[in-house]
Amino acid sequence: MAHDRLWWRVAWRNLWRNRLRTLITASGLAFGYLGAVLMVGLSDGMLVELIENGTRLMLGEVQVHSEDYLPERNMHRTIGGYEGTDLEIFLNQISSQEDVTAAAPRAYGGGLLSSGEETQAALLMGIDPDREPHVTTLLSRVVRGRPLVTGANEILVGDEMAEQLGSVLGDEIVVVAPSSDGSMGNDLFTLVGTFDTGIPAIDQNYGLLALSDLQFLMAMDPARIHEVAITVGNAQDSPRIAETLREFLSDTELPVQVSSWTDLRPELAEMVSLMNAFHFIVVIIIFGMAAFGVANTMLIGTFERRREFAVVRALGTAPIGIGQTVVYEGIVLGMISLVAGSLITWPILVWLHNSPIDLTQVTSGFSVGGAQWRPVLRVEYSIESPIVAGLGLFLTSILAAVYPAWKATRVLPADALADR
Amino acid sequence: MRRYQTVRTLVIQLLNTALLLLLSSPLQAQTAREIIDRVDRLLRGESSRGQITMEITTEHWSRSLDMEVWSLGVEHSLVRVQSPAREEGTATLKAGQEVWNYLPRVDRTIKVPPSLMMGSWMGSHFTNDDLVKESRIVDDYDFEISFEGEREGVEVWEFQLTPRPEAPVVWGRIEEQVRKADLMPTWIRYYDEDGDLVRTLTFSGYRTMGGRLVPASMLVTPADKPEEQTVLTYHELDFDISVDESFFSLRNLRARR
Repeated sequence: MAHDRLWWRVAWRNLWRNRLRTLITASGLAFGYLGAVLMVGLSDGMLVELIENGTRLMLGEVQVHSEDYLPERNMHRTIGGYEGTDLEIFLNQISSQEDVTAAAPRAYGGGLLSSGEETQAALLMGIDPDREPHVTTLLSRVVRGRPLVTGANEILVGDEMAEQLGSVLGDEIVVVAPSSDGSMGNDLFTLVGTFDTGIPAIDQNYGLLALSDLQFLMAMDPARIHEVAITVGNAQDSPRIAETLREFLSDTELPVQVSSWTDLRPELAEMVSLMNAFHFIVVIIIFGMAAFGVANTMLIGTFERRREFAVVRALGTAPIGIGQTVVYEGIVLGMISLVAGSLITWPILVWLHNSPIDLTQVTSGFSVGGAQWRPVLRVEYSIESPIVAGLGLFLTSILAAVYPAWKATRVLPADALADR
Repeated sequence: MRRYQTVRTLVIQLLNTALLLLLSSPLQAQTAREIIDRVDRLLRGESSRGQITMEITTEHWSRSLDMEVWSLGVEHSLVRVQSPAREEGTATLKAGQEVWNYLPRVDRTIKVPPSLMMGSWMGSHFTNDDLVKESRIVDDYDFEISFEGEREGVEVWEFQLTPRPEAPVVWGRIEEQVRKADLMPTWIRYYDEDGDLVRTLTFSGYRTMGGRLVPASMLVTPADKPEEQTVLTYHELDFDISVDESFFSLRNLRARR
């Protein structure tokens, strides 16, 4: 053991014989660490934003429908069939589930919105103005006016729809929708607000009504709804939570279908797994580059010390001891780099998290699978990625030292001393 | 001399044959078009007023509407619902390529936007487009007799209507059967662009109304939902009534009787 400590000391001293070289190598590794953690943090931030915009805006993380509702979205296929179901009880059952944060009922209809001379086809969505904000951020996107009040025949439309209709707040809008009894439901609604989600498909096509107002318009019993949107603690756990809920609801004997956002927006789910795979590739590339840098330094270091190694060997040291000291050098170098890396990474991470880089001037962002991504580079921190990256850095410096160490053990004392 | 005459006769004969050949194919096409056109005119007249009942049956509900219908030429028509009471006064105006609805509950007229022209008209299996497109059938399609002869003991023609290349139509093909004896249509089949049957229009109840023989009943069955249907039955029908274009105005659409 005392012997071992000696080798550590030798390694430490050797590292500081060429201070500049060691510092340059260590800072290379430290910046590699910074790069890896930052890249993962940035793309995590992008993912979180994508998932959040994809689910929190309108979808919810889990949805419950009548089993025959999707994909046609036939308005007659309400949860519990023609009779519907007791909403309060049903929603309480769902909310009582562990992991379920909130649940909100919805009904949908297709119809026409007409204001003055203009008429537009619209998707009508009936929501519960009290419950919906606990599940989605849709109502928080009301940029002008105010959210809905139930029972007052009020409507919200997207800003682009409002523009197409030429309507301003306070205008009367005629809403026409085929009813569940086959007649043409029609009534006057007051435009109380417009929303801007940034997703054209929503801003151009949706009209939001209070659930009970839409049910009345479409001659539907208040017990009949098309959808329950659910929000859960962690979006990434949605498939598991949907599965649990499915089992739970199968006891209620309502023929329902429970889908997580990964089923409802498969393209978004694919995007997420693609980006997760991308993390690994980035980390591997960064540390691959760092590994060659370290290997290079160590290799030069060992070549320089050929004569020293030869002397030590000639004095009776086992080759393994020489190899050991080179590997120890790698470990110590890794530790120094890790400390330095952490010291420069954390402040930058915290800074970028709190004041994200805003690229709105350069690009306007894009949308994937109905999820909009704003060009704001927010960094998400996780415990995981700095630890994984730290471990990666450590392994890199050890692995990079293995080859020089092996070379060092192969030094033949007689040849080296004779400068052959 | 005699020989020359023979040659001359031969030449004339040949010329005649060539002329006949030349003329015969357009002649036939003309005929198909003419027959369809005549069938169309027979059913419509220059102007008309009728009393109809529309019975709609779907998987989820069924309902019956009594309506009064006016038409002028192929460009104008007005339909006003009389019962059930809940929908009394609801009206549809077709003027040229536009369709307007009047909703008495909110006292508003609404123009059906282009995106909803293929949507259901009054919840039936007719589309808004059916109201409009009717007038253009002679312009938008090429006609061809696909069958001529006896079907179930009745002499009929069967026509195949193929849309012209640039025609803005929704059907890939239409087939129509017409009785030879009285030019009455028996059925019309609508196919999509893949050649699949979309719906069938069946005519029946041929009787004389307003001095003309007409099919008093029309049945629409969508091919994908055989259990659903819409039946349109004429109870009264008068032709060549005194209406002019001003009758088919938005103002009159709103006017309650």
